[in-house]
Amino acid sequence: MRFQRVVQSISFIFFIILLWLAAFPLISPILVDTFLGLDPIIFLGTSLSTRSFGSLIWLSLPVLAFTVFIGRFFCSTICPMGATIDFTDRLIRSKQKKLFQLFTNSRSLKYLKYQILLFIMGSAFMGISLVFIASPMSLITHFYGLLIHPALCLIAGKFLVLTRPIANYFDITSLAYAQIHVPSFALQWFSAILFILIFACAAWTSHFWCRYLCPAGAIFALFSINPFWKRQVSKECTQCGLCQKNCPMSAIGENPFETNHSECIVCETCVRVCPVKAVSFSSTSFKKTNYSQNFSKSRRKLIGAGVFGLGAGIISLTDMKSLHADIAPGKIIPPGLIRPPGALPEKDFLARCVRCGECMKACPSNTLQPLALAAGFSAFFSPKVTPRRSPCESLCNVCGHVCPTGAIRPLPMEEKIWAKMGTAHILKHKCLAWEFNKKCMVCDEVCPYNAIEFKVIPGSSVAVPFVNENKCSGCGCCEHFCPVHAKAAIIVEPMGALRIKKGSYREKAKEMGLSLQIKKAQNEEYETYPLNEYDESGLPPGFTE
Amino acid sequence: MKIDSLLNIKWGMNKLNRREFLKKQLQGAMWVAMGASGILIPKPVIATGVPDLGIGKGAPGPATRAAVELLGGMKAFVKKGSRVVIKPNMSFNHPPEEATSTHPEVVKELVAMCLEAQASKIRVLDHPFSPTLAVKNTKDACNGFKKDMVYGLVDSNFYKPAQITNGLTFKKTDVMQDVLEADVLIAAPVAKAHSSTGVSLSMKGMMGLIWNRDTMHRDYDLSQAIVDLASLLKPQLVVVDATRVLTTNGPHGPGKVLKMDTVIASKDMVAADAKTVQMCKWYGRRFEPRQINHIRYAHEQGLGRMDVENLFVKSVEV
Repeated sequence: MRFQRVVQSISFIFFIILLWLAAFPLISPILVDTFLGLDPIIFLGTSLSTRSFGSLIWLSLPVLAFTVFIGRFFCSTICPMGATIDFTDRLIRSKQKKLFQLFTNSRSLKYLKYQILLFIMGSAFMGISLVFIASPMSLITHFYGLLIHPALCLIAGKFLVLTRPIANYFDITSLAYAQIHVPSFALQWFSAILFILIFACAAWTSHFWCRYLCPAGAIFALFSINPFWKRQVSKECTQCGLCQKNCPMSAIGENPFETNHSECIVCETCVRVCPVKAVSFSSTSFKKTNYSQNFSKSRRKLIGAGVFGLGAGIISLTDMKSLHADIAPGKIIPPGLIRPPGALPEKDFLARCVRCGECMKACPSNTLQPLALAAGFSAFFSPKVTPRRSPCESLCNVCGHVCPTGAIRPLPMEEKIWAKMGTAHILKHKCLAWEFNKKCMVCDEVCPYNAIEFKVIPGSSVAVPFVNENKCSGCGCCEHFCPVHAKAAIIVEPMGALRIKKGSYREKAKEMGLSLQIKKAQNEEYETYPLNEYDESGLPPGFTE
Repeated sequence: MKIDSLLNIKWGMNKLNRREFLKKQLQGAMWVAMGASGILIPKPVIATGVPDLGIGKGAPGPATRAAVELLGGMKAFVKKGSRVVIKPNMSFNHPPEEATSTHPEVVKELVAMCLEAQASKIRVLDHPFSPTLAVKNTKDACNGFKKDMVYGLVDSNFYKPAQITNGLTFKKTDVMQDVLEADVLIAAPVAKAHSSTGVSLSMKGMMGLIWNRDTMHRDYDLSQAIVDLASLLKPQLVVVDATRVLTTNGPHGPGKVLKMDTVIASKDMVAADAKTVQMCKWYGRRFEPRQINHIRYAHEQGLGRMDVENLFVKSVEV
């Protein structure tokens, strides 16, 4: 096996392992979002849209530095998107040689990726992050984390059901009782079609994404116009054309001596296919290049793309649903827009979030779901807590720790407890206790923060629930477990969410008079049972005369 | 004058038997002391044989064993080769002192006793909210046994449909397959208050063996539905863990926890629940078993007896 494939495979496996380890509890010895950090479009786009530098995104700088010396090695060795496309291309490609030829020399298409890059940077200039539309690391994390992972879980689960009788027969209890939680995500069909389209482009030409669309590739291309280590062709060349035909990136010009180093991903296919061993990769001086990247012809298009990006930013800002501006009277906040605990204030959150879905993949309760268009296009696919699906696990803080850009702050547990996501509200007209006089106290039973109080009130034969908003973290246990059908009788809304850019959540929350605490055993300092609440009926809940 | 003479006669009688009287007093005191120290269990005064309720007092493990021994030991319930399911409360990831879950030591002791009785298959099962965290304490306690047996089943594939033929209102549900196939079901609930049903003991605990519990809250009178379910899932042995009792703010807590160091065992789930209600102070007060709807209904519908004052109770301290 050739060297590049070996490195690529190792890198890909590494990516999958890290993504797999992005789970609760977080046990990975290295940062699970390392690959996302390597993506230069996440680095540049997020830095510009937030006007600041994150911590992890610095990882892409050494990659860019290496690119200056050895070209776009990242694309052919490290990039898991590239590895995936290598694979899918093999499945899809080949027979359409004619179409393939048609596009190989399509030079204007090569500028598309620069246009996409400038479009993203244009919107980032306006403070709107559209990095998510084309960041390769974000997309591939989304693909494996939100599409492939649940699919594999489902298949494994079905398989377990099949093997259960066998495991029982041989008394292998660990297998007989193995349970696989199958996560499910909103917008699965969108994701599936999106990735089918991306991969199906191989029908037109190999590595369509890498050649024409990838904005990270565009950044690497700019850094590898004339790298130190590059393709050289010796005099033995017979101009047979094999290297041109086989180059996955169509980086070799009409003249086989010429190489477009910006397009070359250093995969060395040309070296291998050359029948006379005329091609080699070696170091040369920086000065000479025999291929000129001609931007002048398409300068207008590139500027145009940047302007379009600015326009996209402006449209996002003037979108009624957009939440980029500060919250003001008349600003509509979707009632279900509950952000993960520790999410930055909405404007900063959206400027940072790259929609990679890592938090949704890692979320143990599967409550984090991609948002559709409820908060405008610029918030598309950003994570939200979906309590009816599942509550936010009170002892978990994993989402902030896997976020590559700090859109969700990596809070320690002591702080996360105080990161209030919203507040529960009781819909009395649906509540079994309030409306139907049924002895239901499920919300109180499941609330980890002891935020539900139940009281016997005049006119009601059973105790009815009340929410103490200062104790409610908005985790949604109550909404999830509420036994009424369809919409719950207690729902969490983003009202009262605590979202701060810096500083301690604990201090801020205490300042606001919040008292968020996981329920603990009763000891001396814990308030005693409010028996007086039952004085009217004379009996505690569930007891009769 | 009359009173005086009466006193005289009494005094005179006692005077005559003074020596004997003192002897008897001493004997009685020795019996009590021996019984309390566990050397000798005092013979029952009225009834003999196996009691309806066996009460063990002491640390969770030994008290559990003692209570079951009073009923004739585990071998009275678990025959060689039996398939046993033990149903503790392990729905919450709370430490034992919060009294929301059965003490892991109680479960461990029951498993050990089942193993001694040569059960062929033992499972400790519950339907918790989260599959791993909630059952962790119990699982850890049972780590010493050769095989894994503690599971929280949150996958619907583990549950199979079952008809509740004797149910008045709640007539069908999905029950854990292991329970349907088991020879012996042992209920091992923790004693705790419950905001909907007053208390949550062995009968209420059976809700942890079915798939859809919501419907019991939503579509039925919960107390009657519990009795209906108990008519299907009738444990052969009930061991109520009242070593700590959550007496307020149940079932999740936190609430006031009473340290009772008591384990109540019975073949009759209604009697075990009723005795537990009677023994503990709930919300700082005493209550009669009939004040819990599902206990009263169960008694009225002949599922068991809540008139614990008429039952034969044996206690032992360890």
